[in-house]
Amino acid sequence: MTFGVCETGIEELDAQMGGGFPVGSTILIVGSSGSGKTTLCMQFLVNGAKKGEKGVFFTITEPLFKLTSNLEKFEFFDRSLVDDGTITIIDLRIIFERLGLDAEKYTVEDTNALLGVIKDIAKELNVKRLVIDSITALCYRLQSKEMIRDFIFKLGTFLAAKECTTFLTSEIPPKTFIFSQYGIEEFIADGIIFLGEVERGGDLIRTLQIVKMRGVDHSRIKYAMSITSRGIELAPLLKTR
Amino acid sequence: MVSTLVEGLKERVLTSISMYQSVCVVLPGTNYQDLIQALFNCMREKHTDQWVYITVTRPFDNFVKMFGDLSRYPNVVFIDCISRSSGIMKRDDQCIYIESPTMLERITMEIKHIFRNASEDMEKFIVLDSLTSLMIYNDPTLVIEFFYQLLNRARSEDIHMLSLVVEEGELDRHINKLIYLNDKIIKVRDTFI
Repeated sequence: MTFGVCETGIEELDAQMGGGFPVGSTILIVGSSGSGKTTLCMQFLVNGAKKGEKGVFFTITEPLFKLTSNLEKFEFFDRSLVDDGTITIIDLRIIFERLGLDAEKYTVEDTNALLGVIKDIAKELNVKRLVIDSITALCYRLQSKEMIRDFIFKLGTFLAAKECTTFLTSEIPPKTFIFSQYGIEEFIADGIIFLGEVERGGDLIRTLQIVKMRGVDHSRIKYAMSITSRGIELAPLLKTR
Repeated sequence: MVSTLVEGLKERVLTSISMYQSVCVVLPGTNYQDLIQALFNCMREKHTDQWVYITVTRPFDNFVKMFGDLSRYPNVVFIDCISRSSGIMKRDDQCIYIESPTMLERITMEIKHIFRNASEDMEKFIVLDSLTSLMIYNDPTLVIEFFYQLLNRARSEDIHMLSLVVEEGELDRHINKLIYLNDKIIKVRDTFI
């Protein structure tokens, strides 16, 4: 079976993977607060939308108005892509409310109901790119590692069959080199992008590293990452500290 | 006398940069002002080319004070690496401000962006002012690595590079190592003219 390539539109990142992510893969975007997870995901969605690929962004961590107002600052963002429905932004907390999923911890039935809704939305909108920001916040309500594993596995399998490439953001504490809060997400995901930081002369420099990407002969070198009005840009990180 | 010196420096720099891909100018601190004046004259003379002026020595604002309105140099984009870290928060459309001179990779990204937008028929020049100042803010080995990367990239993309070294007494051994990476070294002495 051969896979197509899903370009992020971030030149240096795509180049590290010989063109982009394998279509249909599920990638964990790992980083602490302020590391650039949301920006990376949005740039991935917007660049896809500009090529006509529909995308959906599920947020749990930020209200919609804040998210869109932050996006307006980026040159890559095009409001019309949201207005014409090429990109759909959904506040998952509203879905929780509508489904009556307000319990602190979900049962298996609750989890299946949530999974069903996400799958229905992806199918109905016929999206080729999907983001959940963050999988950490979503999994907080799942009661066991088995439920988390089952949820991500089923979601990933469904979306892969639909040739939809998925980014799941994973929140970690600062200055740690772990990939998830629950220690399970990284084993199910096809890829891991680690967003970290290095200190130089007291200044913090953002970094990006592809830790894992199934099916691709990818680079593992650490890149310096910059977030400007142009969005995310990368350059090889100087090795000397 | 001063204008003769500036004119002489300008001619020497222009000749060298047209013959060699990378040129390093080593000069005493007392001649820094003259060289800057000569470089601005070069940039004005070669106004159809794209220049990137990286300043780690003086804030961009200082150049505005020295030379007046820099919109007269539309072919030059400045990358100011020290204003922000010195608490100077001014803005200018002709200048890209980098938060700190330690963020060397960011300089690389900005250069790439500037030249990507430049017309293909323009010759491309980078002025690095200066290696000496970069060494103040960074570990010398880091500056060496950065300079190697920058130089290699410039060579592969046909960009001319001019780097400055301000000499105060004995040259630092790391800088000594760096200047010999260039194709041409111009040593400015008091007896230059």
